[in-house]
Amino acid sequence: MNAPDRYERFVVPEGTKKVSYERDTKIINAASFTLEREEHTIGNILRMQLHRDPNVLFAGYKLPHPLQYKIIVRIHTTSQSSPMQAYNQAINDLDRELNHLKNAFEEEMMRISREY
Amino acid sequence: MEGVSYQRFPKVKIREMKDDYLKFDLRETDASMANALRRVMLAEVPTIAIDLVEIEVNSSVLNDEFIAHRLGLIPLTSDRAMGMRFSRDCDACDGDGQCEYCSVEFHLKVRCDSDQTLDVTSHDLKSSDPSVVPVDVAQYAESGGYDASEQRGILIVKLRRGQELRLRAIARKGIGKDHAKWSPAATVTFMYEPEFHINEDLMETLTLEEKRDWIESSPTRVFDIDPNTHQVVVVDPEAYTYDDEVIKKAEAMGKPGLVEIYAKEDSFIFTVESTGTIKASQMVINAIEVLKQKLDAVRLSEETEEADDQFGELGAHIRGG
Ligand SMILES: [Zn+2]
Repeated sequence: MNAPDRYERFVVPEGTKKVSYERDTKIINAASFTLEREEHTIGNILRMQLHRDPNVLFAGYKLPHPLQYKIIVRIHTTSQSSPMQAYNQAINDLDRELNHLKNAFEEEMMRISREY
Repeated sequence: MEGVSYQRFPKVKIREMKDDYLKFDLRETDASMANALRRVMLAEVPTIAIDLVEIEVNSSVLNDEFIAHRLGLIPLTSDRAMGMRFSRDCDACDGDGQCEYCSVEFHLKVRCDSDQTLDVTSHDLKSSDPSVVPVDVAQYAESGGYDASEQRGILIVKLRRGQELRLRAIARKGIGKDHAKWSPAATVTFMYEPEFHINEDLMETLTLEEKRDWIESSPTRVFDIDPNTHQVVVVDPEAYTYDDEVIKKAEAMGKPGLVEIYAKEDSFIFTVESTGTIKASQMVINAIEVLKQKLDAVRLSEETEEADDQFGELGAHIRGG
């Protein structure tokens, strides 16, 4: 009767920001990003991509509670970079990787269909 | 720092491709990417499924909601799904989900007037859009080698004399996260590609009988003996289930280090099976597209970045910069 709608798990409610950013008050170049209505899929690829950046000293994500549909990504960088820069870089790199993957997959599909 | 990139360039090799089955290798990326693709295929690639049922007449033995549930589970051809709108954010119909941009209408009207039990199947569903119809199982039956004439669609309910079922159904775009009926995936799995290092010198200290004994210790047929050279060879690396049995066996035989097995951390073997709503290969392409959209949605907005720039200057000022 009072069950929440199923779509609450993945539709960002009106008036809520998809991504919010909070700088760490004690550590320079550290910040937390709150991603609304996201989970391990995005959290884990972002974390792993951030680990490829040598200016990233720490990158991790957490799903605070299974009924709170958000993840928190925490980034700490060297003074050569900033959490925001590293975050943007990670998304751009992943986006390009997926573009490459899509092309590679479609080329391979063409090759296979010619063989049959 | 512009121009710096830590991007990867993954490689793909398709091994087997059928409409509803795909096996491929994904190389030069990591487990997070492989797992993201798997998760998106299972829960976030959209398809179309019946979501609203208005029953006009139902004198069958099954109750209305039971039939509505069964209708929801019927796979519908969903090549259109990626281009459709979700009813909840469709402007054309104010979200009531009854317009051509976000829905497909179905009608079903069956009455039994004979003494023989009448099967009501997915074939009896009449669609308003010829591109969105129940998946034709008969089509797969032919390629599967059994008699297509025995395939009569998916059974919904059986009627006896005098019973009738009449309804209108609305199919909508959705994702598996909402309800499993919208998942295009029957199975999506990936495994790490294994790498075998047989210590040949140590292996040659074994008699043929011991070699056979060792090979037999593997629950799956991974190794075999070359009939000519009597050497142990890897015949099917992917049959290995990371069970460690051959390693334990080697230790038990007093030959530790006979074989070393590693999981290659950047190579994955994917198996994708579709329910028939979209082709397995299309599922992979759609998953890549959906994942790209998800990433795009979590980009920082300009206002957030600007707010931080100001904060940054202020921060630098306070810190004495
Ligand atoms: Zn609509």
